[in-house]
Amino acid sequence: MTQTPLISLVDVTKTYHLESGDFTALNHVSLDIMENDFVAIMGPSGSGKSTMMNQLGILDVPTTGNLLIEGRDVEQMTNLERTHLRRDTIGYIFQKFYLIPLLSAYENVEYPLILKNKERDKTGRASAMLDAVGIDREKSEHRPNQLSGGQQQRVAIARALVNDPKILLCDEPTGNLDRKTGLQIMEILCKLQKEGKTVILVTHDARVAEYAQRTIRLDDGRIVES
Amino acid sequence: MIGDIFFQLSVRSVRLNFLRSILASIGIVIGVVAISTMGMLGTNMQLQVKDQLSSSANTIVITADAIRMGPPGSSPSSSSSSAETGIKKTQLNKIRTTVGTNGTVIPIYSSNTEFTSGNVPARGTIYGMDPSDVTEFLTIGNGTNIGSINEALVGYTLAESLDIKVGDKIKISSASSGPPDGSSSASRASVRIVGIIDTRGTVADSVSTDNGIVVSREWFVAQYGGKDIYDQVNVIVKDTDLIPEIEDAIDASLNTDEKTPSVRISDASSQLDTISSTLETLTTFVLAIGGISLLVAAVSIFNVMMMSVNERVQEIGILLSIGTETAEVRKMFMYEALILGILGAGIG
Repeated sequence: MTQTPLISLVDVTKTYHLESGDFTALNHVSLDIMENDFVAIMGPSGSGKSTMMNQLGILDVPTTGNLLIEGRDVEQMTNLERTHLRRDTIGYIFQKFYLIPLLSAYENVEYPLILKNKERDKTGRASAMLDAVGIDREKSEHRPNQLSGGQQQRVAIARALVNDPKILLCDEPTGNLDRKTGLQIMEILCKLQKEGKTVILVTHDARVAEYAQRTIRLDDGRIVES
Repeated sequence: MIGDIFFQLSVRSVRLNFLRSILASIGIVIGVVAISTMGMLGTNMQLQVKDQLSSSANTIVITADAIRMGPPGSSPSSSSSSAETGIKKTQLNKIRTTVGTNGTVIPIYSSNTEFTSGNVPARGTIYGMDPSDVTEFLTIGNGTNIGSINEALVGYTLAESLDIKVGDKIKISSASSGPPDGSSSASRASVRIVGIIDTRGTVADSVSTDNGIVVSREWFVAQYGGKDIYDQVNVIVKDTDLIPEIEDAIDASLNTDEKTPSVRISDASSQLDTISSTLETLTTFVLAIGGISLLVAAVSIFNVMMMSVNERVQEIGILLSIGTETAEVRKMFMYEALILGILGAGIG
């Protein structure tokens, strides 16, 4: 019996309509990602990595072709359903962390829980997640701009994990960190994958890609190695 | 709502952009202050006028019904003698008979005139009436009532502006005299001021003494002629409820020809209606100006919100990407606008 892929891109093309003319960022791309995979997406600038991340993270819809998450076609969903799918199934980790500047570290982690449960966290899950990524209580009261890059990325990871998503989408997660801190972050991601998460990683760095079980190379909007 | 994370975000955003938020709120403050002061101004004006008019609410004013360009005596050359427009003695007698014991009938001569106090020329209305009638509706604040033919009373405002005191003499030109350049001073008769009439403000009985002079009937007729042709007859009734009845009776007695009525009968209520509607228009206009400033304030809040949204496009993107519903993001900005509005409106 074949397992249903967690994420499927089926002949996906993404075209941007620019003033200078149409630009095809993804060109008839098909890809299956299974549950508990650790996938690295690599490629030069402009190869379509970010576009692919946006597709996999349901931040954008394909121009043609289909994106299936757990067998469900994203295009058939309403906006609200997509929002809820993002909230419950996918955790995002960005190169620039993208924490909410007006909220403290703790509130940033608590935020997805509030979105889901429509009330402040009373279970202590947000604090537990911060503990798990090594942010102590005192630091958790700080605003993002009062934290170092490594600390911010840990908070971002805690935020991504707090709703227990199946998929972790990481866009250059070590790009803004020094080598040592980058390694620590990668170890956390490896641990999470071992615990059952599906980790999808976009990176320039071949050493980072070595952590992945599978590397997908993109060039000019097409998959050249899978 | 206070515990709502979106409300918290809005509060923090307002605090983060404190100066901008305060400026937007000040816009609202100005708008609210403008609209409320202008509203109060209009209402006060109405109240004041109503208050003053109600002091003469017991008066019926009867004038000759002829087409005139303005109130009695407003034409520079007008005098009771030069035209046949006036209440004649026979009509006055009819009025007296009709009113009977229900009120006091006060026949009044009036004319616009020029006069000089010291060497200062001025213009105003001169009223001629029986000294005993003066105290029926005028209050002499300083001095005494007219006792002899050469004595006169002066209105408070006029006395203030020309610095006229009891005992002063003023020269009043006759109807046929020229401009007050002193060339025709020979035709000027002088009167001695014996009393100053308290300020009356806006009144409904057409006797605006604030800027006028009151002389005896004899002096007036000697100076201007027109004996027994009065410019107006005021009836001060004892019971205001009887006004419509008395008016109807006078109307029936004097206006025997319906097509060409000979007198016009009015009272405070009809004048109040006219003035009120004028003031209401004025108040609406003034409020509209206040409304515009409130609109400007609203636009400034809109502008601040636009800036806030533009500045936070990335933040909005993050919020949406981690699963915030668009309605929730909208709620956050609504809260922010609400805070600015309430802050401004509260202070204002």
